Amino acid sequence: MGAATEATERRMTPTQRRRLSRGIQYAVVAAVVIALAVVADWGRIADSFFQVDIAAAMFPEVWTPFWNTIVYTLLAFVFGMVVGVPIALMRVSDFGPYRWFATAYVEVFRGLPALLVLFLVGFGVPAAFPGIQYPGGVYGQVAIGLGLTSSAYIAESVRAGIQAVPKGQVEAARSLGMSHTRTMITVVLPQALRIVIPPLTNELVMLTKDSSLVFVLGVTTATMELSKFARNELTSEANATPLLVGGLLYLLLTIPLGLLARRLEKRGEAR
Amino acid sequence: MNTEATPIVEIQGLHKRFGDNEVLKGIDLQIAEGEVVCLIGPSGSGKSTLLRCVNLLETPTEGTIVAAGHDLTARDADLDLARRDIGMVFQHFNLFSHMTILDNLVVPQVRVCKIPKAKAVAEARRLLAEVGIEGKEQAKPSQLSGGQQQRVAIARALAVKPRLMLFDEPTSALDPEIVGEVLAVMKGLAAEGMTMLVVTHEMSFAREVADRVLFLDGGVIVESGPPADVLANPKTERARSFLHRVLHPVD
Repeated sequence: MGAATEATERRMTPTQRRRLSRGIQYAVVAAVVIALAVVADWGRIADSFFQVDIAAAMFPEVWTPFWNTIVYTLLAFVFGMVVGVPIALMRVSDFGPYRWFATAYVEVFRGLPALLVLFLVGFGVPAAFPGIQYPGGVYGQVAIGLGLTSSAYIAESVRAGIQAVPKGQVEAARSLGMSHTRTMITVVLPQALRIVIPPLTNELVMLTKDSSLVFVLGVTTATMELSKFARNELTSEANATPLLVGGLLYLLLTIPLGLLARRLEKRGEAR
Repeated sequence: MNTEATPIVEIQGLHKRFGDNEVLKGIDLQIAEGEVVCLIGPSGSGKSTLLRCVNLLETPTEGTIVAAGHDLTARDADLDLARRDIGMVFQHFNLFSHMTILDNLVVPQVRVCKIPKAKAVAEARRLLAEVGIEGKEQAKPSQLSGGQQQRVAIARALAVKPRLMLFDEPTSALDPEIVGEVLAVMKGLAAEGMTMLVVTHEMSFAREVADRVLFLDGGVIVESGPPADVLANPKTERARSFLHRVLHPVD
């Protein structure tokens, strides 16, 4: 250590040093804020993002895509759970082929971009199997297209949950005469799902945002989701206000979910 | 002890290996109906493994086990059916943590024995009263003390009407002042004529309740006999030194 630093250290107490470091950080933040305030063309920004009449004109039409965003998210989540939980069970099975299949499934759908899977479901499969009909039309396509990716993540979360259930719980159940399957259904899964509620809530947040990919399937006014609607408005109004409104509506969904996840996590720790 | 009757547990030539580690090296053991047998021995001697082999929570490497009328080591053994007749109590209780106390006793009856719900609830209440747990039906296991949890665990094992009970160090995880309440329940069970195989470090319980004490060391039964013989006059040096260490830990 150099003589200069030693001298500095001798001169300042740890509290003084902490205060100095804080002071410098505040100064930097203040400088950036001032610079932005001076450099930015505030009138122009307000014109682009905060046109009250353009925002107002989006209502009530915006509620249809808002509602569709919720529906797409929930459909994909339900599909993800219905497929993901069995995949998780297969991953922890002691029957080799189940385990191999589940591992391959998770690796494939976790590794592929959600957009590509959506294309695959929307265009690849119909091209390969002419005449194929998805139940519920675009709703079915979305459930499967987004749900496949989601199921891989859900399967991994649930698998971790299953493995976090103490071994003694399984032994107790088996010693009472419960079969392997009965033990899974009655004892392991209920506890595992409780453990993975926080990651599953996060998955729901991810899906809410991924629902913005649905536009690639070619949606109508009735089946449009929030991002596509906002972008259409952006184009027709030649103004960015619709993006702000759309963004706020996403946050209206995702922030409560995030808060919920954090609360559930805390409750999990308290247990 | 009636040696004419078929034993409720009959173990022959039992070996258990975990990889290269041979934990049980040839165990032969018969337990008569109604007998209370305590397994003692230093840690790592194989007591818990032996106990866990009796309901096949551990699969034997070699040997045969017949328990409660079920040939457990037969190729086509129905272990789920057999385990109903062999209750087990664990060191760490292992109550189902997501269920209420009442459901811990009701669900096994309904799911395993297909007993109607109402009847199962009545039976659960009766068993809980018997082990001295009342007014806790709707509590979760984590809200009970260790002693209470272990008594519930005993009641839960009894709920599926076993003919034989295995206890794996049932009081080792408990504070010293609440060991007694669990031992009292076990003593009552022994008095009712339940066949019990107990891995324990509670020498006073073994002395008072056991019909027979087995001293295990290095994967073999070194001594076997009435508690008065094994605990008071051990024949082997190994048993003597173990008992001395357990009974006089400060020396």
